[in-house]
Amino acid sequence: MKFRGKIIDVACLNHFTRVITTISKLTKMCVLRLTPDNLFFVLSGKVANGGVSMWCELSQANFFDEYQMEGVSSEDNEICLEVTPENLSRALKTVQNAKAVKVKLTKKHCPCLTIAAELPTLSSASRVVTHDVPVDVIPRRLWHEFKEPNMPDFDVSIYLPPLKTMKNIVDRMKNLSNFLVIEANLNGEMNLKIETDLVSVTTHFKDLGNPPWGDDASQDGGASQSRDPEAMVEARVDIRRLQQFLMGQQVNPSKAMCNIVHQRVVHLILLHEDVSLQYFIPAVA
Amino acid sequence: MLECQNGNQAVVEETSLLMIFVTFNLSIIALFALPSLCQPNILVTCLHFSATMPLSTQSQADEEQYVFVASLDNARNLSNILKAITFKDHAIFSATPNGLKVTVEDSKCLQANAFIQADIFQEFTIREDLVGFQVNLTVLLDCLNIFGGSTVPGVSTALRMCYKGYGYPLTLFLEEGGVVTVCKINTQEPEEPIDFEFCSSNVTNKVILQSESLKEPFSELDMTSEVLQITMSPSQPYFRLSTFGNSGNAHYDYPKDSDMVELFKCTKTQTNRYKMSLLKPSTKALALSCKVSVRTDSRGFLSLQYLVRNDDGQICFVEYYCCPDEEVE
Amino acid sequence: MDCVVTGGNVKVLAKAIHSLSRIGDELYVEPQEDALALRSVNSSRSAYACFLFAPLFFSRYTIPSGHAFRCKMAIKSVQAVFRSLASLEKTVEKCHIELDKQKSRLTFTLHCKHGLLKTHNLSFQDSESLQAVFDKDSCANVFRAQPRLLVDTVVHFPPSLEEVTVAVSDERMWVRNHVDEEAEQSKAMLTELCLASDEFDHFAVGAHNSVTFCLKELRGLLVFAESTGLPISMYFDEPGSPVVLSVTDSVLEGDFVLATLSDDPNHRKNNSRRAHTPPPPPPDDFMNDDIDAYLIAMDTSIAPGPSATGPPTPSLARSTFSKQPAAANHKTRIHSEEEEEEEEEDEKADLDRPPNKKFCSLFFGSVLPPSSQMSTQPVTSQEVLASDSEDDT
Repeated sequence: MKFRGKIIDVACLNHFTRVITTISKLTKMCVLRLTPDNLFFVLSGKVANGGVSMWCELSQANFFDEYQMEGVSSEDNEICLEVTPENLSRALKTVQNAKAVKVKLTKKHCPCLTIAAELPTLSSASRVVTHDVPVDVIPRRLWHEFKEPNMPDFDVSIYLPPLKTMKNIVDRMKNLSNFLVIEANLNGEMNLKIETDLVSVTTHFKDLGNPPWGDDASQDGGASQSRDPEAMVEARVDIRRLQQFLMGQQVNPSKAMCNIVHQRVVHLILLHEDVSLQYFIPAVA
Repeated sequence: MLECQNGNQAVVEETSLLMIFVTFNLSIIALFALPSLCQPNILVTCLHFSATMPLSTQSQADEEQYVFVASLDNARNLSNILKAITFKDHAIFSATPNGLKVTVEDSKCLQANAFIQADIFQEFTIREDLVGFQVNLTVLLDCLNIFGGSTVPGVSTALRMCYKGYGYPLTLFLEEGGVVTVCKINTQEPEEPIDFEFCSSNVTNKVILQSESLKEPFSELDMTSEVLQITMSPSQPYFRLSTFGNSGNAHYDYPKDSDMVELFKCTKTQTNRYKMSLLKPSTKALALSCKVSVRTDSRGFLSLQYLVRNDDGQICFVEYYCCPDEEVE
Repeated sequence: MDCVVTGGNVKVLAKAIHSLSRIGDELYVEPQEDALALRSVNSSRSAYACFLFAPLFFSRYTIPSGHAFRCKMAIKSVQAVFRSLASLEKTVEKCHIELDKQKSRLTFTLHCKHGLLKTHNLSFQDSESLQAVFDKDSCANVFRAQPRLLVDTVVHFPPSLEEVTVAVSDERMWVRNHVDEEAEQSKAMLTELCLASDEFDHFAVGAHNSVTFCLKELRGLLVFAESTGLPISMYFDEPGSPVVLSVTDSVLEGDFVLATLSDDPNHRKNNSRRAHTPPPPPPDDFMNDDIDAYLIAMDTSIAPGPSATGPPTPSLARSTFSKQPAAANHKTRIHSEEEEEEEEEDEKADLDRPPNKKFCSLFFGSVLPPSSQMSTQPVTSQEVLASDSEDDT
């Protein structure tokens, strides 16, 4: 098992840092899967994390100037690590002005992802900083837990409004309530609602548009076509989970979508160049 | 039946409220005798609510049911001034044709009033002489800032505030960038605000200062001191703020001829103490204001009047009344 | 005592008090003939700081003649005098410090813009002289750097980090975070920064030692050094003897004396893994393209899918790493038991030691005969041995 990557381009380093920081806002621990072409950050919905799942996919070629890896075996050419994204984020943030940053799997006092950076100085010699971020290597036989989640059989898929707007609204609603109802229809309308003894608040978004999913996608042609475009499907969620998702957004996605399975799950998808982030929030009764 | 009763009661209250408003306005104009500051700004109405709001679907009959409707192109013009009096959840709203008065009180010793005159609003319709209700101020502020309360120029939240009368919620329609939020805040019957009987004829000492000069002293007040002592005197120390904390005392003295002092009218030496915990919330009003008038009457009651300029350069007022600390002397 | 500070020096004084507040809760004030001394020490007496302001620093400096005067007061209350640090330069024209011995009050009067006069009457207690015993001139290792270099160094460490270890060779200095043995080492992130000697204004190494000290106080001094632009000198010898950080100019001198972790021989073995032996690769090797191989003898075989029956056996990896916290728990056991364990688990021995992190406290002359001299000579007096700074609250 070997891994080494090098980032030289400042924009790539910056982008990579923002992606990791976004993930660090979503979860304390997650699994990093390294393959010859991609990096995946995975969180599988467990009770401990409120049933929330995450799947973030990055194309290595978009970030790394050099990227070499050898998986556990030739037929399973992958490396699977449990990491603390907050540590990676912190390490990367302090090396934003580096001439070059290396990320490598090392054997120190324990398995580590080592982030080594060469920092610019006024003198002739360079300044080198290394951060050893401990990781746990996940054995092959547990890998099946970290597969890409299936696209849920959603009832409505809708484009999200600007995330900044949504964040402001959800932040305020969080002050007023612990739960939020998110509802949407096939007419490009989405509502965020809270209701308490003191107040009820509803924010109406319209003309958001519904993404066209192919026939093979799960927005099954039959059901959704026959669905009344005005009819709302809804999910009631823990407002903190949604807030967490919006708070972490460091990446301005080119596309942001939301799929809702009525009273079951909210599936959020962000696409930005070669980064995709999926986030699943279970509905509560 | 209920509404009818409410209406009758309102007529009685209305006169006194009008009085307050009139005297307040008069005194304020006299206080801050800067006519150029008080000229109303020309307002550009950039938004027609009925056109963008989903409520355009509302029937005329619905509209007519409202006893009170007020709209603002910029909700910050209301939320900012309400922040200046946010220290308790309960706020009493009193609307008269002159404008809106919002009152917050603490332990019968402190009262804060925010006055927003009718012409600050783009629309101000009131079907009774007085409309009163009580709401949770913290909730109201969260609603008014639902879009984040952006300070970016050109981005503002438009607001339409409607109330149907006793037993109905206060309904807010907020719009920013084509997104509409509807809030229904539960209301309660208004309590009678305390009358502090602070009248200008009993004022012994009065000092008007530029708020700038009080901001720093108020921000560094020794909070281990239970009281803030205010001394006003025709002779030295003229105007003094004192604290008595765990590790010593501190005095802040302003000379009467300081360029920060706009008016100095003290007739006799007066030293009064006010509970620090009561006065601390007034720092919020101070932070927003450009001028402050400090007055005490013969009983030692304190009145702090703040002149606040909103985003559009219009003027509103915030007033704090505080009882002196009785344990002194 | 009657002193007047004017102009930019008011801010220098204020910053000095703020950086002293990072050390302890009390400010010791001692007007001496040659300087006004402001000092502070932490409760475990493992950190001490002293600023000396020469009479030239003041526009007026008069001190009581005859008998020496010393006092101490809550540092918070003095900080409060200079609370609006950011605007201090713009608003305060003059600061007058006056002693009223009868009323036991030290009065700070700030003459501010627009005629505003702020008067703080602070109560104080008489105190013993506070004097740390250190001799920076005999230290084997001496460095001097611009504050920027140290600011850029500490930025790599999280604000929550308590201690750093500084190691030196003839050419380089390594700064790394110190990981408490009690902490789960496997979970702690390790950061190391390597600085070349030519980044320093002065770099003299007499002994290849490494010392571990608290970062909090260093950060405190950095705030002062950065705002005054004064270079920081660092002096240290061997583990257990204090590190001294100094700033100096013609009218002031600041010394921060920080205890270092004693180098317990039991400790050394464990520490050596990082601290002593393998010296980190020189920066020149940074770009070498050897792929860092990392092989873990672990379960890489392809197992059948999830078993529906029975609990899953813990993975080899997990069981390996879970040993560390388990071992850490043993530390509270009595010694004899540990010895047995050591025999059983030889290679884990270093982890099973009782906690041995210990800062040597500094030697203080608690009560000194009045002496106008700022002494750096050893003084015989009560020696306080305190444990580490965790005793502080």
